[in-house]
Amino acid sequence: MPELLSPALVYVVAAILLPFIPQGLPRQITMLAVPFLGVAVFWDLSYGTYGSLNLMGMHVGLMRIDALSYIFGLIFSLAAFLAAIYAWHLRDTVQQVGALLYIGSAIGAVFAADLVTLFVFWEGTAIASVFLIWARRTEGSYATGMRYLIVQIGSGLLLLAGIILLYLETGSIAFNRMELGSLATWAIFLAFGIKCAFPLLHNWLQDAYPAATVTGAVILSAFTTKLAVYALARGFPGTEMLIYIGAVMTLFPIFYAVIENDLRRVLAYSLNNQLGFMVVGIGIGTPLALNGTAAHAFCHILYKALLFMSVGAVLFRTGTAKGSELGGLYKTMPWTMVFCVVGAASISAFPLFSGFISKSLILSASADEGHYIVWLILLFASAGVFHHSGIKIPYFAFFAHDSGKRPKEAPLHMLIAMGLTAALCIGIGVYPAPLYALLPYDVDYQPYTTAHVITQLQLLFFSALAFAVLMKTGIYPPELRSTNLDTDWTYRRLLPAAIGKLQNAVVGTWRFGVRLTEARLDRLLTGVYRAHGPQGALARTWPTGSMVLWIAVLLGVTLLLTYM
Amino acid sequence: MTGHSDGSKDDPKAFSWLSRHLLWVDNPRYVDRLVWGLAVVCLALASADFAYHKHSYFPIEDIPGFYGFYGFVMCAALVISAKGLRVLLKRGEDYYAPNTVEAEEHPEFDLDREKFDA
Amino acid sequence: MTDTTALLLALGLPAAATFLIAALGSRPNLRDGVSVTTSVATFAVVLYLLNGFLDGARPSVTLFEVLPGLVLNFAIEPLGMLFATVASGLWIVTAVYSIGYMRGAGEKKQTRFYICFAIAISAALGIAFSGNLFTLFIFYEVLTISTYPLVAHKETPEARRGARIYLGILMTTSILFLLVAVIWTWNIAGTMDFRAGGILEGRIDPVYVPLLLALFAFGIGKAALMPFHRWLPAAMVAPTPVSALLHAVAVVKAGVFTMLKVGTYIFGVGFLSRTGASEWLVWLAAASILIASIIALTKDDLKERLAYSTVSQLSYITLGMALANQMGVVGGAMHIVMHAMGKITLFMCAGAIYVAAHKTKVSELDGLGRKMPFTFIAFTLASLSIIGLPPFGGAWSKWYLMLSAAEAKHLVVIGVLMVSSLLNVAYLLPVAARAFFVPPRGGMAHSLGAAAAPQGGLAEAPAFCVIPICVTAIGCIILFFSVGGLYEFLLHIPILPESTQ
Repeated sequence: MPELLSPALVYVVAAILLPFIPQGLPRQITMLAVPFLGVAVFWDLSYGTYGSLNLMGMHVGLMRIDALSYIFGLIFSLAAFLAAIYAWHLRDTVQQVGALLYIGSAIGAVFAADLVTLFVFWEGTAIASVFLIWARRTEGSYATGMRYLIVQIGSGLLLLAGIILLYLETGSIAFNRMELGSLATWAIFLAFGIKCAFPLLHNWLQDAYPAATVTGAVILSAFTTKLAVYALARGFPGTEMLIYIGAVMTLFPIFYAVIENDLRRVLAYSLNNQLGFMVVGIGIGTPLALNGTAAHAFCHILYKALLFMSVGAVLFRTGTAKGSELGGLYKTMPWTMVFCVVGAASISAFPLFSGFISKSLILSASADEGHYIVWLILLFASAGVFHHSGIKIPYFAFFAHDSGKRPKEAPLHMLIAMGLTAALCIGIGVYPAPLYALLPYDVDYQPYTTAHVITQLQLLFFSALAFAVLMKTGIYPPELRSTNLDTDWTYRRLLPAAIGKLQNAVVGTWRFGVRLTEARLDRLLTGVYRAHGPQGALARTWPTGSMVLWIAVLLGVTLLLTYM
Repeated sequence: MTGHSDGSKDDPKAFSWLSRHLLWVDNPRYVDRLVWGLAVVCLALASADFAYHKHSYFPIEDIPGFYGFYGFVMCAALVISAKGLRVLLKRGEDYYAPNTVEAEEHPEFDLDREKFDA
Repeated sequence: MTDTTALLLALGLPAAATFLIAALGSRPNLRDGVSVTTSVATFAVVLYLLNGFLDGARPSVTLFEVLPGLVLNFAIEPLGMLFATVASGLWIVTAVYSIGYMRGAGEKKQTRFYICFAIAISAALGIAFSGNLFTLFIFYEVLTISTYPLVAHKETPEARRGARIYLGILMTTSILFLLVAVIWTWNIAGTMDFRAGGILEGRIDPVYVPLLLALFAFGIGKAALMPFHRWLPAAMVAPTPVSALLHAVAVVKAGVFTMLKVGTYIFGVGFLSRTGASEWLVWLAAASILIASIIALTKDDLKERLAYSTVSQLSYITLGMALANQMGVVGGAMHIVMHAMGKITLFMCAGAIYVAAHKTKVSELDGLGRKMPFTFIAFTLASLSIIGLPPFGGAWSKWYLMLSAAEAKHLVVIGVLMVSSLLNVAYLLPVAARAFFVPPRGGMAHSLGAAAAPQGGLAEAPAFCVIPICVTAIGCIILFFSVGGLYEFLLHIPILPESTQ
């Protein structure tokens, strides 16, 4: 492989060429091949920085390969490949090009050795990903896409401001560990935080992902937020505040997930919750914790994609992903159901599934460092995520009350994509050693101890029992068609209302002022015309007329100035 | 939606092997058994705590069955408080606008609705 | 060809072409051919000058002396060279585009249109190469007057009204403020030459500097600094090529170019920074950026929205000058290029939409993207450049402006630039996004835009319209990657007085 500057280049070139490749087999094969070509760029390179240039006095490094960027680059490429299989049926150039640019940007950002390159790809993910939402081509998805884009670009702008301040402060744009303190680092931290869906900055995620197309949501779920996790792990490991931010993040989305009807939005909430675990890991910052974050990101991308794929397949066949409209699908979509259950078991961290071997690292790390409360919260969140992602999603989609819907099983390519992803989830869960070998630090960790397995099973089975009891007693809230207020209320309701009020006031004052001046001006100008402008073609000649006047005025002013 | 009539002409024999073997989940009697079975498993897991030595980080872990108890109580609390939250947060699907993502249909071109054919 | 001849040739070519265009009025093909050829020739001459300039040539020509000390002088310095290259280069694009637009829209009196257009370019180049304030002022006024018939081109009462506002504001401000400022400067400095590091330091009581700066800032009405911006939206009654070249590139850029030039060569950046005289201008420009963007949000008429966007973007450049450091000047000058490339694309797209679909309002564009994919893709790319996102040229000018603001310790200005970007997103991207992704009223999208064969096929504007659009849109991307050279070039702008360099 010739030395390319960045794997992102492969994706960008493919995206440019794609419209010229005929739809159908040639294009499908291209979409499958690109992730492999992308991996080939960095596969066998030794650790170091490649593609260094000097850009207007700044040292730019397009590709930094080390353990952290390597594992993220690898999982991003894997996700791209699986998503390409899942989207085999797609005949939409907009989505295909958007997906390639989006994935390419995400991978490019992961390998960026400097903040400017990071910024370029950071905004790249923002712009390219919105097309996966807009491609739904409805009024609703258009509006959602605009909101999403403004938040994402806002994150990029904060990053830009931070970089500039940092550059001025330190004279360097290298992307390394930073210490929170100056305005610059805070801006960068906040930029990462928006993309990572920190509490109160999170709502773009739940707002946007359910608005995407069937395949779009699968792709979106993998990259944006994990890029932010990567950036935090690179820039702010061991920042104590992240522990508490992450803990809150694991906690509050599970409440929303319980009452949310749209299963893709439930997944978005649980995605948020899983990000919390990773953020806690970054905050703890020990080698074990950072390993946990990297491993959890790796596993999370797979099982979350699997869940989005299975719910997407249901949507694909029935036209809806709402819990209130679904149920009983196990009868005709058994394979999709099985894959969904595998994804559910993985996210719930059942022993022998991928979530178990990654989440344990973070929980152990938090216990190691003696974060008692945080540990309890994480434990609660683990039970909670089992509750809404592990049970609720499969239960309401495939079991529960029979909706009477009898859709056909998902198409073959979707089943293959889900099957492969499910196999990976189980494979990693059963045999974690290869994944552990990829982790950034050398840590000897044994997930399968008696205590671990038993305590985890206790937690999960008792949670399941709670679900069953609540279901039987009718306490469990039914799925209802609804919108639940979240922080988006502030900018979808409060802000527009406030702006409307303000606008009325400003426009009113402005109109009044303009009317007043216009009337005065009119009177003045009419006077000037009468005195200086010939009747008739006023439009063409009045300047000449008034020029005479102005020149007279001017001469006076000049005279004045001369004697000043 | 046309879905509701589909179920009436079900022919279980047409379902796949896996689906046929799961049909019992629609029978309340078996579901009850499932729940009881679950309770038994839970009990077994809780009693397993006496059978091995746990290297615990926090004293609370030493309480037998702590994990199970914690999971059960917290999940029940989660659901009940979420239910309360719904009273505060629930609005109509067209709360923000008449054509939000929640309120509108998913466009057909992005779907491939196909009925199960026996 | 010596550099001085080339300089005069660059100025003279478009002016001379007017006679040929007038003579060929009855033979449209030949006439339009002359217009395009002249634009190419002019650009070639400017490039020749650029080449010489990069080799260190600094030609200067004095034509004649009006009064003792009052000379018509042309000279080349980096800013002027930059502006001349941009204006003459984009003239080619517009000349081609005009053919498609003027014929497609069935405009009348095209000969007059082309004549005035050529004069305007000549005047813009005159401004670019002017060696002193006097020359600049003369050509500034020529530009105003020569574009007046272009704005009033449609000869409807509406067009006349728009043109009247246009001329009224530009003339009034230039005579009431700019001329006074020029005379005042001449009076105290004894010269009107543009000199590195400025000519005012030590000759003026610092108390008066903000006042003089105000006379310049408001006098240069073409920079559309609020509250003297109304002429720009009013001028949108003009045919689109006029809006595209003149009100996105030549005229408005002549304004901000003058602003930069006055800032660097009359006041001197160091002088401004030391006296803090431009502090108020920073805030005014910042306010102008935000207010104009907010107004743009409320405009449904596409061209009007773009006009307010221009008002906002021009203030970026004024801001760059007012921040009074080297990065500000570099960022401002860079923004001349980046914004020109982006905005001309947007205007040409607006014209193409008008020619092909007779739509002028943003709310009428739903579903149009399927019929005019090239136009709307170009619109998207140019919008992203204006917003200032990578990989488009606009990202770099914003970078340097922010850097300059940080250097000047104006953190709020960084915030303003960020908010402005978001506002740009909010008013620019809906145009293309709605066209592509919102189904026409009363319907759902049942097939895919680009994938399925569009109903009724493509309905793009004539090729003469679409090709220039694609060229400038791609230009926005190229500018991102080739910024290094531009940056090097802009570092030539002398910031310090010659003696200390």
